[in-house]
Formats: sequence, structure tokens, C-alpha cells
Amino acid sequence: MADQLKVRLVTPDRILVDQTVEAVEVPGKNGYFEVLYGAAPLLSEIGAGEVRLHGGEAGGQGSVQRYSVARGFVEVLPDRVTILAETAQKPEEIDSGAAQEQLQHGQKLWNEAGEDPDKYAHANEVMAEAEAKLESAGAGKH
Amino acid sequence: MANVLDLRRRIRSVRNTRQITKAMKMVSAAKLRRAQERAVSARPYASMLASVLESLKRRAEIYDPETGECRHPLLLTRPEKRILLVVVSGDKGFAGAFNTNIFKAAANFIAENGDKEIDIEAIGRKGRDLFRRRYPAAQFSEATEETQRPERTRASQVEVLAGPTGVLEKIHYDTIRDVSDEIIALYTHEEIDAAYLVYNEFKSVIQQRVVVERVLPILSLTVHEVERAEEPTLEERERAAEAALSAGVSLYPHEAEAAEKQLEDEAKNFGTAEVDYIYEQPPQEIFADVLPRYVTSQIYHATLESIAAEHAARMTAMDSATNNASDMIDSLTLTMNRVRQAAITKEIIEIVSGAAAI
Repeated sequence: MADQLKVRLVTPDRILVDQTVEAVEVPGKNGYFEVLYGAAPLLSEIGAGEVRLHGGEAGGQGSVQRYSVARGFVEVLPDRVTILAETAQKPEEIDSGAAQEQLQHGQKLWNEAGEDPDKYAHANEVMAEAEAKLESAGAGKH
Repeated sequence: MANVLDLRRRIRSVRNTRQITKAMKMVSAAKLRRAQERAVSARPYASMLASVLESLKRRAEIYDPETGECRHPLLLTRPEKRILLVVVSGDKGFAGAFNTNIFKAAANFIAENGDKEIDIEAIGRKGRDLFRRRYPAAQFSEATEETQRPERTRASQVEVLAGPTGVLEKIHYDTIRDVSDEIIALYTHEEIDAAYLVYNEFKSVIQQRVVVERVLPILSLTVHEVERAEEPTLEERERAAEAALSAGVSLYPHEAEAAEKQLEDEAKNFGTAEVDYIYEQPPQEIFADVLPRYVTSQIYHATLESIAAEHAARMTAMDSATNNASDMIDSLTLTMNRVRQAAITKEIIEIVSGAAAI
């Protein structure tokens, strides 16, 4: 098909995904958005959440591949989407125990933050990340 | 003269040593290959990060139009009075001059900046051990409600910070991020005026050097700011090349990889397309968020290269050791044969002269 998007998911360790898909959902910092072929150029930070690739090469029509990502940003061009993320995992790779621990750690940070706004922001970030991980790990099991 | 039995025993012992060094060399070669791969696959991320920053720089108003002041704390330059020196060394020895070279570069840097206050943060066990012996540890008082940051009482010009432990055993981006977050916090709280990185740069087995690089303040985004570098001698290179050849490691791993090249070019163009992007967040905000990541990626990159360089150095050192052991076995075997020959000759003489006497 002509109107397909090239998607690349890049982490510090490697290029995790490099394929063409029909659409991709990206967890922007201000909320999820979906990108189709021909989208206007856009640059955004991403928050903790899931990148969903629809109709990728590997799965064929109607398939969804999900990756739990956090901390990064995305560049959208009409025919190409590049996602830079510090962490990216498949839902089945997520260690729920570790994520749970992270959540508790975040809650602890939150409680200890006192009146420092930086610390609050940091704690919220940690918790959001952990929650996103747990969510996508849980969704994978159903 | 030593007797045959002693010599035979020694030969056996040297042979055992050679076995061990040979095995270590092969292990290092395998690890080197893996480390090289990691270093290469980490490149797209780093260059994409750099290029997106470069393009944002044009759009984000870094400098205040009215006062001309820099808006982001990591770009601010201050007169260098307090310096943080991050030394990336190895966790283990048996790597030839690898650790020594790094310490030499670090010591030179400290000597040159003798009038400034220097903090050392060591990544890698060897470096930590050495600097702990040489310099006192930094003393901090507990953070209080009012000050937020722990207070510091400085006792000496050069002090060692409690660096991270066990980073190199299993390198992970998250641990490096913690390190760089700490460095950035120090910088933004104006507890240091500059941060330098000493590490072993690794381009290929024969192309590596010890470099001192500035991480903070960030003055330029595309070029690494190498303060100075120490190249290996020609002889050392030849030794390394020989070792690599015998271990089956390619000398130029990144050549003739057109796909790789293309990817890198694309990475460089990341975020720089000549179109007007829609920015979800204000460019300044993205810029401010990306800058610390750039620092992290720089340190991560340095650590990966240092690991590869360490394995390469160990491989070379172990190859030399194996060759030396072989030489030693040869010369010992020669001596042993001579001694045996001498003993036989002596016995024959005795028998002959005994027979003649009858």
C-alpha cells in the first residue's frame, strides 16, 4: 500500500522497531494521539504510556503491536514517525514486580517531597511510569 | 645448573599460565565484539538527540531577547572554580595499561588545574579504589529543611565523591541516568562550574585514545568538546592489531556497512527537516527537557566506549602474555634439552673412562 507510515522506535540501546504500519498511536505528554499517513509535521514530548502500531508488517491487517514507553519525544513527518524513548518494552517483557516496586518507590518519594515542587514532579513522573507499565502488562494478559 | 625435573616442572607451570591467558584473551575478544555492537547500536539515539537539539536551538529562544541572558541553566558558563571530574575506568585489572593511562590523564588534569577545587566521581572499581586512597572523601552534612541541598564542608582541594558502584558490570541506561541527574543537579545548584569526563574513546581496536571531554556547560551540541587526548603509540597499535587478528576480531567493524551509514545519515536529519513543525509543547520546554537527556546520552556513550576499550586492552594484554609464555616455554625447553644432553654425555664419558681404566 502506498499510504503507509514508516515507524521507527529508537531507544538508547538499539532500534527496537523499524517497519511500515497503517497507523500509530503515541502517548503524547498532553494525551494520546494517533498518526496516519500524511500527518502534519509535529514534534512532541511523550509521556509514560503505550505506543500502539496498527497493521504492522509482522501482524498483517488489523493487528496491534504494543510497546510500553517512557521519557522521550516523537517526530512526525508526513510519511515517517520516529519515536525516541529512554525505555521501551513489550508488554510481556514488563516485570510487574519491579513496576510495583517502582510505584511504591514513587509513592514514598511523593510522601517525602515536602514542599519542593521539583520533587513532587519527579515523584509524579515515577508513579506515572510505573502505572503505565502495570497497565500495559495487565492488559496483555486478558 | 638446574636439573631436568625442575625444568620440566617449570615448563608445565608456564604452559598452564599460557592456557589461562589464552582463554582470557578469547573471552575478552568475545566480550569486545558484544561491546562493540552495543556501542554501534547506541549511536542512532545519540545522534538523533543531538540533531533534534540542534534544530530546536534555532527555534527555541535560548537567549532572552531583552537581556541577552541564557535561559537554560545547563548552557550557562561561569568562571571555572569548582570542577567535577568524572573518571571512567575499568572494574578489573589485567588489561595492560588501560587503567593506568586513564589515571595518568586524570592526574595530569588535576595537576594542571591545581588552583581549582576539584571533585572526582569515579565510574569503575579500579578508579574508585585508587582515588579513595589518594584523596579524602567529600564530607556532607544532612540536608535540612531550609537548605534543601546537603551542605558541604571542604577540607581539601581535591576530594572524592561517593560515586556509583557496580555500573559497569551490567550497564544500563537507567543507572547512567541517575549518575547524570546527580551531575546536573550539582551544576544547576551552582555547586560545580564545569564537568569533565575522562574516558577511553574507542573507534576500533587500533584506534583508541584517552580523552578529557567537557560535558557541562554545553557549548556546542554537535561536536564533542575534547580538551585533550592521548594517542597510543604506533607500537601499541601494531600489538593491538596483531592481537585482534589472532582472536578473529575485525579491525574496522563499521566499514562497508552501507545500511548502517544510511541510518546514521537519517539519524542526523532527525527533527531537522525544513518544515514548520507543530510543537505540542513550546519549543523552549522541549529543549529544556531534552538537554539533560543529551548529557546522559553523552555519559552513556562514554561508558559504552570505555567498556569496549577495556576489553580490547585486555585482549591485547592477554595476547602479549600468551606470546611471552610461548617464548618462555621455548627457551626453557631448550635449556632442559641441553641439561639432559649434558647429563647423558657425562654418563657416557664416565662409562668410557671406566671401561678404559679396566
